[in-house]
Amino acid sequence: MSVVEPKPEPPARPEAGGVESPSVRSLAEVPTRIAVLGNPNVGKTTLFNRLAGVRHKTANFPGTTQEAHLGRLVGGSSAASGEAKASAPLLIDLPGVYSLSLNVAEAQICRAVLAGELAPMGTTPAAPDALLVVVDATNLLRTLALAAEAAAMGKPMVVAVNQMDVARRRGLHVDADALSQRLGCPVVAISARTGDGIDGLVSALRQPVQPLKEFGGLGERSEIEAWADSVYAEVASASSPVSNKLADRLDAAFTHPLVGVGLFAAVMTGLFWVIFRLANYPMDWIDALFGWAGGTVAGTLPEGPIQSLLVDGVIAGVGATVIFLPQIVLLFFLLSLLEGTGYLARAAFVIDRLLRPFGLSGHAFVPLLSGHACALPGIMAARAVPDRRDRIATILAVPFMSCTARIPVYVLLTTLLFPGRPGLQALAFTGCYALGVVAGLVTSLLFRRTVLKGKSLPMALELPAYRLPDLRLALLTTRDRAWVFLRKAGVVILGISVVLWWLGTYPQSPPPREAVELQAVATAIETTGQEVWVLESRPAFGLVQGEAVSAAEVRAQAESIAARHSARRTVLGRLGATMQPVFEPLGYDRQLVIGVLASFAAREVFVSTMAVQVIGREDFDEDNGIQDALANAKRDDGTPVFGTATSWSLLVYYVLAMQCLPTLAVTAREAGGWKWAGLQLGWMTMLAYVLAAAAYRIALAMGAS
Amino acid sequence: MPIAATQTSRISLQQLRKGDRGRIESTDLPADDAAMLRALGLRPDAPVRMCRMGQTCIVEVCDRLGGGCRIGLARSLAERVVVRRDEF
Repeated sequence: MSVVEPKPEPPARPEAGGVESPSVRSLAEVPTRIAVLGNPNVGKTTLFNRLAGVRHKTANFPGTTQEAHLGRLVGGSSAASGEAKASAPLLIDLPGVYSLSLNVAEAQICRAVLAGELAPMGTTPAAPDALLVVVDATNLLRTLALAAEAAAMGKPMVVAVNQMDVARRRGLHVDADALSQRLGCPVVAISARTGDGIDGLVSALRQPVQPLKEFGGLGERSEIEAWADSVYAEVASASSPVSNKLADRLDAAFTHPLVGVGLFAAVMTGLFWVIFRLANYPMDWIDALFGWAGGTVAGTLPEGPIQSLLVDGVIAGVGATVIFLPQIVLLFFLLSLLEGTGYLARAAFVIDRLLRPFGLSGHAFVPLLSGHACALPGIMAARAVPDRRDRIATILAVPFMSCTARIPVYVLLTTLLFPGRPGLQALAFTGCYALGVVAGLVTSLLFRRTVLKGKSLPMALELPAYRLPDLRLALLTTRDRAWVFLRKAGVVILGISVVLWWLGTYPQSPPPREAVELQAVATAIETTGQEVWVLESRPAFGLVQGEAVSAAEVRAQAESIAARHSARRTVLGRLGATMQPVFEPLGYDRQLVIGVLASFAAREVFVSTMAVQVIGREDFDEDNGIQDALANAKRDDGTPVFGTATSWSLLVYYVLAMQCLPTLAVTAREAGGWKWAGLQLGWMTMLAYVLAAAAYRIALAMGAS
Repeated sequence: MPIAATQTSRISLQQLRKGDRGRIESTDLPADDAAMLRALGLRPDAPVRMCRMGQTCIVEVCDRLGGGCRIGLARSLAERVVVRRDEF
């Protein structure tokens, strides 16, 4: 138990004659590596962007999900160029911390970086030779404590007093010169948002000064606080009392147990409406771009394995991932703007109560909601969850949310289950979403009580002041997130796409006799002009019994038969036949098993794969008869492929199964290792298998076919 | 009655009513949690104002000039922070 302790004497204010001249304690040369340190919410990253410009990088610290921004000190109106930029000091933006002595990941990383034991990936560990400490003019007393902790390290440093524009509006004054005297190092009053004071800060950073030696004696927290009290009394003043009435009113609404939840639902609905509404356009453009690229390559290269690899493997595989980029960009841009207003912290506060029983914190709500668009941005959004265990539990829960890629599968199966009954289809659709949410919450609860067992950080969250969002910061954050997505998920999915293409293409087999004969018939129609009549209806190809048929229609049927024949003889096709007994308890035949295996990388592939399996065409469309063909598709024993019990089983399987390799790749990256991706894959597959088998058995017991 | 006066002025943070002001006196929390609250500004003798009561409360840590910050705090933490309520 900590109690009030008598205030120790703060370090004596330096007397004129007792202080070394700053010039003696400054670096002989411009520093090469400057660490940027500050409390969360003091505008540290906005300042970093001002100092480093837009050409900075983002890199993780090895073995962690903590990010650092890295850039050269090139900001200010006299921005350096060319060689000067390359030799400018390296700025490392450290994670925001309330105190260096805390036993939390952010503080541990800061301590290790400052000691030269750790560096962001891509840089060599070396102790920074100077510090830039950012304090907040509107919350100076608390943020000064970190400046004192930094000063105690004895490194040359500069202090930036940020948010001076906001402080002035609130009638608060900070005497930077007086603060400089008390610290013994340069102090510059700035506004990172407006750019005021940045030139002066850049100049000061080229000649940082070692703080007074007295700080070396500040060990106890109470000593640091006493020093901060003493300095605050001297350097800060106010011209009028500050009114917090507006913040009080906004907090009363945003954090109200009912009104706050309602407002949060409205804000999030608006956010996702904008994402779905606007993302469609660029997604169509990307789709068209990759389609054009595929068509161009197909038209340029001769038919063969190289063309197939590029078109069906590389372009189709990468395109299937990049198409989600607009959703990711919009989500992070809008979330960054919302975060900048101070609202997101209030939202996390309100939702915390609802998620806490499942081992999740309020911060998990945005990732879970984002997961309904796509698991990838949802998992990436989990970076906002401060506690490691909560964060990993969130990452494990997100893929259960029904993403847009599941929708084609839901559409197919609910339509097959309830043909011509849209009300029941909608009910089943909603049930899929509900099952996903329940499975995600149960998963979190289960893992928080087993492999992620441990005390959750109780909610102790700073609610930053309300302010206008920083557009520049939002754009830069979005750019960083988009790049991370493209670089990591793109590279992994490229490799996997090529492997799956190979498995689904080889060995190639010659077309069967039936296909060869039909090709010959098509050629005969073309050359002789003879009419041919259909003997047996094939609705999927527009062939009606007794009607005349064109050469193109006959050729289409020949190609369909050849495609089905070939698909069954590839490695994937043969694997489907071998694995069929494993899926027997779920009611799947050989064709369905091939569909499940082929969609292992991306679940939406199931529909096109089944179309190829059943009728040899993959352009699934509700109106063109393919759905009828799937509904009437027969197994080798003559029973329906999509029986009622099997369709229920498939629906449950696709709600719960992982079936998305980009998600696994992003999980491995965000959770800090492939073991979490492996656990996620194993758990989701097992749950999907067991519950799909149960659904199959229950449906059969209830009389379903 | 001095005893009664002492009892009413020393209460848990959770017991402050909306708009009440007080000063942090001590915490009865594990070391890591206590250190986190202290770093957030909830340190001995820090003036606080209750902005929202409830399962999770919002307290404002306010300095003499009106600067400071607001902190959302779980009940499990707030009820183990002892404050001296300002009596008017």
